[in-house]
Amino acid sequence: MKELDPLLHSQLRLAVMSILMNVEEADFVYLKEKTESTAGNLSVQLDKLSTAGYISVEKGMSGKRPRTTCAITNEGRKAFEEYVEALRTYLNL
Amino acid sequence: MEERKLTEKESLEVITSMIARTKQRYIGNGNILLMWGYLVVFTTILVWIMLGTTHQNVWNWLWFAIPIMGCSVTPFMARRQERDCGAVTYSDKITSQLWTIFGISEIVLTFMCLGFQFLGDIYCWKAMLTYTLVTAPIAEIAQGLIIKEKSLIIGGIVGLLAGLITICCVAGGIPLYDYWFLPLFIVVFIVMMIVPGHILNYKARRNK
Repeated sequence: MKELDPLLHSQLRLAVMSILMNVEEADFVYLKEKTESTAGNLSVQLDKLSTAGYISVEKGMSGKRPRTTCAITNEGRKAFEEYVEALRTYLNL
Repeated sequence: MEERKLTEKESLEVITSMIARTKQRYIGNGNILLMWGYLVVFTTILVWIMLGTTHQNVWNWLWFAIPIMGCSVTPFMARRQERDCGAVTYSDKITSQLWTIFGISEIVLTFMCLGFQFLGDIYCWKAMLTYTLVTAPIAEIAQGLIIKEKSLIIGGIVGLLAGLITICCVAGGIPLYDYWFLPLFIVVFIVMMIVPGHILNYKARRNK
Protein backbone atom coordinates (compact mmCIF):
# COMPACT_ATOMS: atom_id res chain seq x y z
CA MET A 1 0.00 0.00 0.00
CA LYS A 2 1.31 3.45 -0.95
CA GLU A 3 2.44 5.62 1.96
CA LEU A 4 0.54 8.84 2.63
CA ASP A 5 2.58 11.98 1.93
CA PRO A 6 3.72 13.09 5.44
CA LEU A 7 3.70 16.72 4.38
CA LEU A 8 0.00 16.57 3.54
CA HIS A 9 -0.96 14.18 6.31
CA SER A 10 -1.43 16.92 8.89
CA GLN A 11 -4.62 18.78 9.66
CA LEU A 12 -3.76 22.38 8.83
CA ARG A 13 -1.56 21.72 5.78
CA LEU A 14 -4.19 19.39 4.34
CA ALA A 15 -6.90 22.01 4.96
CA VAL A 16 -4.86 24.69 3.19
CA MET A 17 -4.17 22.41 0.23
CA SER A 18 -7.87 21.42 0.00
CA ILE A 19 -8.87 25.10 -0.18
CA LEU A 20 -6.20 25.98 -2.74
CA MET A 21 -7.30 23.05 -4.92
CA ASN A 22 -10.69 24.77 -5.21
CA VAL A 23 -9.65 28.37 -5.89
CA GLU A 24 -7.22 30.03 -8.28
CA GLU A 25 -5.60 31.94 -5.40
CA ALA A 26 -6.41 32.91 -1.83
CA ASP A 27 -4.95 35.45 0.54
CA PHE A 28 -3.66 34.84 4.06
CA VAL A 29 -6.73 36.28 5.80
CA TYR A 30 -9.09 34.08 3.76
CA LEU A 31 -7.06 30.94 4.58
CA LYS A 32 -6.92 31.91 8.26
CA GLU A 33 -10.70 32.37 8.40
CA LYS A 34 -11.56 29.20 6.51
CA THR A 35 -9.14 26.98 8.44
CA GLU A 36 -9.90 28.69 11.79
CA SER A 37 -6.19 28.68 12.60
CA THR A 38 -3.88 31.17 14.28
CA ALA A 39 -1.75 33.50 12.15
CA GLY A 40 1.51 32.13 13.56
CA ASN A 41 0.65 28.48 12.98
CA LEU A 42 -0.71 29.14 9.50
CA SER A 43 2.39 31.11 8.56
CA VAL A 44 4.67 28.22 9.60
CA GLN A 45 2.63 25.66 7.64
CA LEU A 46 2.53 27.86 4.54
CA ASP A 47 6.32 28.11 4.69
CA LYS A 48 6.59 24.30 4.82
CA LEU A 49 4.26 23.88 1.83
CA SER A 50 6.08 26.59 -0.07
CA THR A 51 9.52 25.08 0.65
CA ALA A 52 8.24 21.73 -0.67
CA GLY A 53 7.12 23.50 -3.85
CA TYR A 54 3.46 22.63 -3.27
CA ILE A 55 2.27 26.23 -3.17
CA SER A 56 3.52 29.58 -4.40
CA VAL A 57 3.43 32.49 -1.98
CA GLU A 58 3.42 36.04 -3.24
CA LYS A 59 3.87 38.95 -0.87
CA GLY A 60 2.62 42.28 -2.12
CA MET A 61 0.68 45.36 -1.15
CA SER A 62 -3.02 46.03 -1.50
CA GLY A 63 -3.40 49.77 -1.10
CA LYS A 64 -1.40 50.56 2.02
CA ARG A 65 -1.83 47.09 3.54
CA PRO A 66 0.48 44.11 2.99
CA ARG A 67 -1.20 41.14 1.29
CA THR A 68 0.10 37.57 1.06
CA THR A 69 -1.46 35.54 -1.73
CA CYS A 70 -1.12 31.77 -2.08
CA ALA A 71 -1.80 29.51 -5.05
CA ILE A 72 -1.27 25.80 -5.60
CA THR A 73 1.52 24.75 -7.98
CA ASN A 74 1.35 21.89 -10.51
CA GLU A 75 3.58 19.87 -8.18
CA GLY A 76 1.21 20.54 -5.28
CA ARG A 77 -1.82 19.60 -7.37
CA LYS A 78 -0.17 16.30 -8.34
CA ALA A 79 0.84 15.58 -4.71
CA PHE A 80 -2.70 16.28 -3.52
CA GLU A 81 -4.23 13.99 -6.16
CA GLU A 82 -1.80 11.21 -5.21
CA TYR A 83 -2.62 11.76 -1.53
CA VAL A 84 -6.36 11.43 -2.20
CA GLU A 85 -5.74 8.32 -4.30
CA ALA A 86 -3.68 6.76 -1.48
CA LEU A 87 -6.39 7.71 1.00
CA ARG A 88 -8.96 5.90 -1.12
CA THR A 89 -6.93 2.68 -1.02
CA TYR A 90 -6.51 2.95 2.77
CA LEU A 91 -10.22 3.44 3.26
CA ASN A 92 -11.19 0.92 0.56
CA LEU A 93 -13.28 3.51 -1.29
CA MET B 1 -7.40 24.30 13.71
CA GLU B 2 -4.32 22.70 15.17
CA GLU B 3 -1.26 21.16 13.60
CA ARG B 4 -1.56 17.42 14.28
CA LYS B 5 -1.41 14.04 12.59
CA LEU B 6 -4.66 12.62 11.34
CA THR B 7 -6.29 9.28 10.85
CA GLU B 8 -7.28 8.45 7.26
CA LYS B 9 -10.94 9.04 8.07
CA GLU B 10 -10.18 12.44 9.62
CA SER B 11 -8.18 13.40 6.52
CA LEU B 12 -11.19 12.74 4.36
CA GLU B 13 -13.36 14.82 6.72
CA VAL B 14 -10.91 17.75 6.55
CA ILE B 15 -10.93 17.68 2.73
CA THR B 16 -14.74 17.48 2.56
CA SER B 17 -15.17 20.25 5.10
CA MET B 18 -12.76 22.63 3.32
CA ILE B 19 -14.38 22.01 -0.07
CA ALA B 20 -17.76 22.87 1.48
CA ARG B 21 -16.35 26.08 2.99
CA THR B 22 -14.88 27.30 -0.30
CA LYS B 23 -18.23 26.69 -1.95
CA GLN B 24 -19.78 29.46 0.16
CA ARG B 25 -19.72 31.89 -2.75
CA TYR B 26 -18.89 35.52 -2.30
CA ILE B 27 -20.95 37.24 -5.00
CA GLY B 28 -19.46 40.64 -4.32
CA ASN B 29 -21.10 44.02 -4.49
CA GLY B 30 -22.52 45.76 -7.54
CA ASN B 31 -20.25 48.82 -7.44
CA ILE B 32 -18.42 48.11 -10.73
CA LEU B 33 -21.72 47.45 -12.47
CA LEU B 34 -23.17 50.68 -11.05
CA MET B 35 -20.13 52.72 -12.07
CA TRP B 36 -20.38 51.50 -15.70
CA GLY B 37 -24.18 51.79 -15.71
CA TYR B 38 -24.26 55.41 -14.50
CA LEU B 39 -21.28 56.35 -16.72
CA VAL B 40 -22.99 55.00 -19.85
CA VAL B 41 -26.41 56.45 -18.95
CA PHE B 42 -25.14 59.97 -18.09
CA THR B 43 -22.84 60.10 -21.13
CA THR B 44 -25.67 58.98 -23.43
CA ILE B 45 -28.07 61.55 -21.92
CA LEU B 46 -25.44 64.25 -22.45
CA VAL B 47 -24.75 63.20 -26.07
CA TRP B 48 -28.50 62.98 -26.76
CA ILE B 49 -29.21 66.45 -25.35
CA MET B 50 -26.22 68.08 -27.07
CA LEU B 51 -26.89 66.45 -30.45
CA GLY B 52 -30.57 67.34 -30.20
CA THR B 53 -30.02 70.98 -29.26
CA THR B 54 -26.91 71.91 -31.26
CA HIS B 55 -27.04 69.43 -34.19
CA GLN B 56 -23.23 69.42 -34.05
CA ASN B 57 -21.62 66.01 -34.59
CA VAL B 58 -18.61 67.09 -32.57
CA TRP B 59 -20.53 66.02 -29.44
CA ASN B 60 -19.94 62.39 -30.45
CA TRP B 61 -16.44 62.86 -28.97
CA LEU B 62 -18.17 62.55 -25.59
CA TRP B 63 -18.47 58.79 -26.18
CA PHE B 64 -14.75 58.58 -25.41
CA ALA B 65 -15.53 59.53 -21.81
CA ILE B 66 -16.96 56.00 -21.31
CA PRO B 67 -13.80 53.93 -22.04
CA ILE B 68 -11.41 56.54 -20.61
CA MET B 69 -13.18 56.96 -17.28
CA GLY B 70 -14.46 53.38 -16.98
CA CYS B 71 -11.17 51.66 -17.82
CA SER B 72 -9.25 53.95 -15.45
CA VAL B 73 -11.44 53.25 -12.44
CA THR B 74 -12.35 49.55 -12.97
CA PRO B 75 -8.92 48.00 -12.07
CA PHE B 76 -8.90 49.78 -8.69
CA MET B 77 -12.48 48.74 -7.93
CA ALA B 78 -11.79 45.14 -9.02
CA ARG B 79 -8.66 44.93 -6.83
CA ARG B 80 -10.62 46.23 -3.86
CA GLN B 81 -13.39 43.67 -4.43
CA GLU B 82 -10.79 40.90 -4.74
CA ARG B 83 -9.23 42.00 -1.45
CA ASP B 84 -12.63 42.00 0.29
CA CYS B 85 -13.36 38.49 -0.99
CA GLY B 86 -9.91 37.10 -0.16
CA ALA B 87 -9.89 34.46 -2.90
CA VAL B 88 -10.16 34.27 -6.65
CA THR B 89 -12.09 31.29 -7.99
CA TYR B 90 -11.99 29.87 -11.50
CA SER B 91 -15.41 31.37 -12.26
CA ASP B 92 -14.24 34.82 -11.05
CA LYS B 93 -11.36 34.61 -13.49
CA ILE B 94 -13.62 33.55 -16.37
CA THR B 95 -16.07 36.40 -15.65
CA SER B 96 -13.27 38.93 -15.49
CA GLN B 97 -11.76 37.70 -18.78
CA LEU B 98 -15.17 37.79 -20.43
CA TRP B 99 -15.65 41.48 -19.57
CA THR B 100 -12.05 42.25 -20.54
CA ILE B 101 -12.62 40.79 -24.03
CA PHE B 102 -15.83 42.82 -24.32
CA GLY B 103 -14.04 45.98 -23.14
CA ILE B 104 -11.13 45.59 -25.58
CA SER B 105 -13.49 44.98 -28.50
CA GLU B 106 -15.45 48.13 -27.53
CA ILE B 107 -12.28 50.25 -27.47
CA VAL B 108 -11.19 48.89 -30.88
CA LEU B 109 -14.66 49.56 -32.29
CA THR B 110 -14.68 53.10 -30.89
CA PHE B 111 -11.49 53.89 -32.83
CA MET B 112 -12.89 52.21 -35.95
CA CYS B 113 -16.03 54.36 -35.71
CA LEU B 114 -13.82 57.42 -35.34
CA GLY B 115 -11.97 56.40 -38.51
CA PHE B 116 -15.21 55.96 -40.41
CA GLN B 117 -16.47 59.32 -39.13
CA PHE B 118 -13.45 60.98 -40.76
CA LEU B 119 -14.34 59.17 -43.96
CA GLY B 120 -17.60 61.04 -43.79
CA ASP B 121 -20.15 58.66 -42.36
CA ILE B 122 -21.40 59.86 -38.99
CA TYR B 123 -23.97 57.03 -38.94
CA CYS B 124 -21.11 54.61 -38.11
CA TRP B 125 -21.41 55.50 -34.38
CA LYS B 126 -24.68 53.58 -34.33
CA ALA B 127 -22.63 50.45 -35.11
CA MET B 128 -20.89 50.87 -31.75
CA LEU B 129 -24.18 51.23 -29.90
CA THR B 130 -25.70 48.24 -31.73
CA TYR B 131 -22.65 46.09 -30.99
CA THR B 132 -22.80 47.14 -27.33
CA LEU B 133 -26.49 46.22 -27.11
CA VAL B 134 -25.71 42.68 -28.30
CA THR B 135 -22.40 41.81 -26.65
CA ALA B 136 -22.77 43.48 -23.23
CA PRO B 137 -26.02 41.56 -22.47
CA ILE B 138 -24.38 38.26 -23.49
CA ALA B 139 -21.49 38.93 -21.08
CA GLU B 140 -23.97 39.92 -18.38
CA ILE B 141 -26.14 36.81 -18.85
CA ALA B 142 -23.00 34.64 -18.65
CA GLN B 143 -21.96 36.39 -15.43
CA GLY B 144 -25.47 35.97 -14.02
CA LEU B 145 -25.43 32.25 -14.80
CA ILE B 146 -21.97 31.82 -13.22
CA ILE B 147 -22.81 33.60 -9.97
CA LYS B 148 -26.47 32.48 -10.06
CA GLU B 149 -27.87 36.01 -9.89
CA LYS B 150 -31.33 36.37 -11.46
CA SER B 151 -31.28 40.17 -11.79
CA LEU B 152 -28.22 39.95 -14.06
CA ILE B 153 -29.83 37.23 -16.19
CA ILE B 154 -33.13 39.13 -16.54
CA GLY B 155 -31.37 42.46 -17.20
CA GLY B 156 -29.16 40.75 -19.76
CA ILE B 157 -32.15 39.19 -21.55
CA VAL B 158 -33.89 42.59 -21.77
CA GLY B 159 -30.70 44.11 -23.17
CA LEU B 160 -30.22 41.28 -25.65
CA LEU B 161 -33.80 41.63 -26.92
CA ALA B 162 -33.18 45.35 -27.52
CA GLY B 163 -29.93 44.44 -29.27
CA LEU B 164 -31.63 41.92 -31.56
CA ILE B 165 -34.39 44.41 -32.41
CA THR B 166 -31.68 46.96 -33.25
CA ILE B 167 -29.92 44.47 -35.57
CA CYS B 168 -33.24 43.82 -37.34
CA CYS B 169 -33.75 47.59 -37.73
CA VAL B 170 -30.30 47.97 -39.28
CA ALA B 171 -30.84 44.96 -41.57
CA GLY B 172 -34.34 46.19 -42.50
CA GLY B 173 -33.15 49.70 -43.31
CA ILE B 174 -35.01 51.36 -40.42
CA PRO B 175 -32.92 54.40 -39.37
CA LEU B 176 -31.74 54.46 -35.75
CA TYR B 177 -32.77 58.06 -35.09
CA ASP B 178 -31.36 59.68 -31.96
CA TYR B 179 -34.83 60.59 -30.65
CA TRP B 180 -35.78 56.96 -30.07
CA PHE B 181 -32.55 54.96 -30.21
CA LEU B 182 -30.57 56.90 -27.57
CA PRO B 183 -33.47 56.77 -25.03
CA LEU B 184 -33.73 53.01 -25.72
CA PHE B 185 -30.00 52.72 -25.02
CA ILE B 186 -30.43 54.60 -21.74
CA VAL B 187 -33.40 52.48 -20.59
CA VAL B 188 -31.57 49.24 -21.46
CA PHE B 189 -28.51 50.23 -19.42
CA ILE B 190 -30.69 51.19 -16.46
CA VAL B 191 -32.38 47.75 -16.55
CA MET B 192 -29.18 45.89 -17.39
CA MET B 193 -26.64 47.49 -15.06
CA ILE B 194 -28.06 50.02 -12.63
CA VAL B 195 -30.96 47.90 -11.31
CA PRO B 196 -28.87 44.68 -10.88
CA GLY B 197 -26.05 46.77 -9.39
CA HIS B 198 -28.32 48.12 -6.66
CA ILE B 199 -29.77 44.63 -6.06
CA LEU B 200 -26.24 43.18 -5.65
CA ASN B 201 -25.31 45.99 -3.26
CA TYR B 202 -28.46 45.36 -1.23
CA LYS B 203 -27.63 41.64 -1.01
CA ALA B 204 -24.00 42.38 -0.09
CA ARG B 205 -25.16 44.70 2.73
CA ARG B 206 -27.67 42.09 3.96
CA ASN B 207 -25.03 39.35 4.02
CA LYS B 208 -22.60 41.37 6.13
